[in-house]
Amino acid sequence: MNTIASTATRRSLFAATSLALALALSACGGGGGDNGGGNVSVTPTPSPSPSPSPSPSQSPTSRNVSACLSQVIPGTGGATPASLVIPDTIKLDLTQPAGFPNGRRLEDPVIDITLAVLLLDMTKHSPALLASLPLNPAANDKPFLSTFPFLAPPQGTPPLSTGTGTSFAFQTEPTSAFVRVDREGQPAVATALVGAALRNAYNDANPSDDVAGVFVPEFTNQLTLIHNGLADDLIALGLTPCSK
Amino acid sequence: MHRKIKLALAAATTIGALGALVLVPGQLALSADHLDPPARTDPAVDPTPDFDTDIADLYAFYDDTNLYLIETWGGPAATNLAGFFDPKMVHTINISTAAPATTPEISISFRFGVGATPREQGIQLTGLPGVNGPLVGPLEQILSKDGVRVFSGLRDDPFFFDAQGLKDSRATGVLSIKNTRDRFAGLNASATVIEIPRSRLGGTKLDLWVTTARLGGQL
Repeated sequence: MNTIASTATRRSLFAATSLALALALSACGGGGGDNGGGNVSVTPTPSPSPSPSPSPSQSPTSRNVSACLSQVIPGTGGATPASLVIPDTIKLDLTQPAGFPNGRRLEDPVIDITLAVLLLDMTKHSPALLASLPLNPAANDKPFLSTFPFLAPPQGTPPLSTGTGTSFAFQTEPTSAFVRVDREGQPAVATALVGAALRNAYNDANPSDDVAGVFVPEFTNQLTLIHNGLADDLIALGLTPCSK
Repeated sequence: MHRKIKLALAAATTIGALGALVLVPGQLALSADHLDPPARTDPAVDPTPDFDTDIADLYAFYDDTNLYLIETWGGPAATNLAGFFDPKMVHTINISTAAPATTPEISISFRFGVGATPREQGIQLTGLPGVNGPLVGPLEQILSKDGVRVFSGLRDDPFFFDAQGLKDSRATGVLSIKNTRDRFAGLNASATVIEIPRSRLGGTKLDLWVTTARLGGQL
C-alpha cells in the first residue's frame, strides 16, 4: 500500500493547475492574523485588534459537510478526516509505509493533501490531486539532509549558540509549573478548522478534549462556511465537492 | 479544442472565484501551526508575540531502526536572528503507544539554559525512553546518550507553501499563487531533532502531539 504523499505524481496540465489554483485560493478566504504570511520579527507592529471569528451562516442553502469529515481517504487503510484530527494527533503506524497522513515526513506536501481531503469527494478524486500538480511549491527551498539531523543548516549568517560541555543553568520548576501556550498534532488543523474566537481554547485543550467532541461543532461550522462559499465554484470547475 | 475551452473556462471561473473569495469567512489560513494561536504569537495581533513557544511544525517518521521526531518553532525567522531558546519555557513531545490515544506513554520534555555567557546555550531533555536521567548538552551539536541522539539549534525552516501569493491575490483580486514561490524560503526556525530506537517504543501504532508552556504564561 502506498501513501498519498508517495503517490503524488506530477502532471503538467496547465488547465488542471489553473483549476486547482482557483479552487485553493477560494478555500483560503477569511483569516485575521497573517498565519504563515507573517515573518518573525524583533520589532512587531501590531494591528489595532484581532479580527473576530465570523458567525456561521445558517442560510437555507447551507451545505452539509458531514460527508467531508466521514469520507474514507483512499490509500490510508480506512482513515477519515475526522479520525485523523479527532484527537488532533499525528498518527503513525510503524507497520505501514511512512508518509503523510501516516506520520509526517519533511518532504510531504501536507497542505495540498489536506485541502484535497477536506474539499473534494474522495470517491471521485484522488487525495493526491492537488499535490500532483503541484499546487504549492513541491519541495523545500533547501534540500534536506539524508542523515540526522535532516534539517538544512540555517540560512544567512545568524548568531549561533557557542555552548560546550554540560554546565548550563536550567530552570528547576517542574513541567507542571509552566502555563500552556501552544499545541500541535496534525498540521494546519487549528489554522484551518478553528475560528479565531476559539484558537486560544483549542491550544489550551488536550487530545482527551478532542475525543470528548469539544471542537466537533467548530470543525463542522468552519468547514460549512468554507463549503458554502466554495461548492458552486468547485462544481463549476468540474470537481465534485464532498459536501452535499 | 477541448483543452482550450477548459483553459478559458478555468480563467473565467478563476475571476469569479476571486470575487467570491472575500466573502468566504472560513479561516483556511494556511500554515502548519506558525503564529498560532494568533493572540499569543502573531505580531500582527499580539504586541508581545511569544516566538519561543510558537510551535511551527511537528514531524514524525521512521526507518528500520529508529523513530525520528522533529519539532520546529519560532519561525519563519529572518536570517539575522538568533534562535529562540528562552530558559523560561518548556516543550513537550507526547507519544501514545497504546490505547487510549489520548494518554502518552512517553512524554519527552526539553528546556534550555545558559552557560557562562548568554550565547553559550544548552538543552536538557527528560523522559527519553531508555535513557538514564536527563540528557544535557550544548546546542548546535549532535548529542547522544544511552542509544538516543538529539540535535537542537537554529536551522532552515523546512515548511514550504506560497502564502504570499494568497495574500496578494486577496488584496488585488488578481490570481497570483505560484508553485515557484515559497513563503518560508530563505528563513529559519529553531528546532529539536530526536532519534529513538524503535525497540524503545513498546508499540507500533503511535499518536504524537507537542505542547509548549511558559513560566507565568505567555509573553
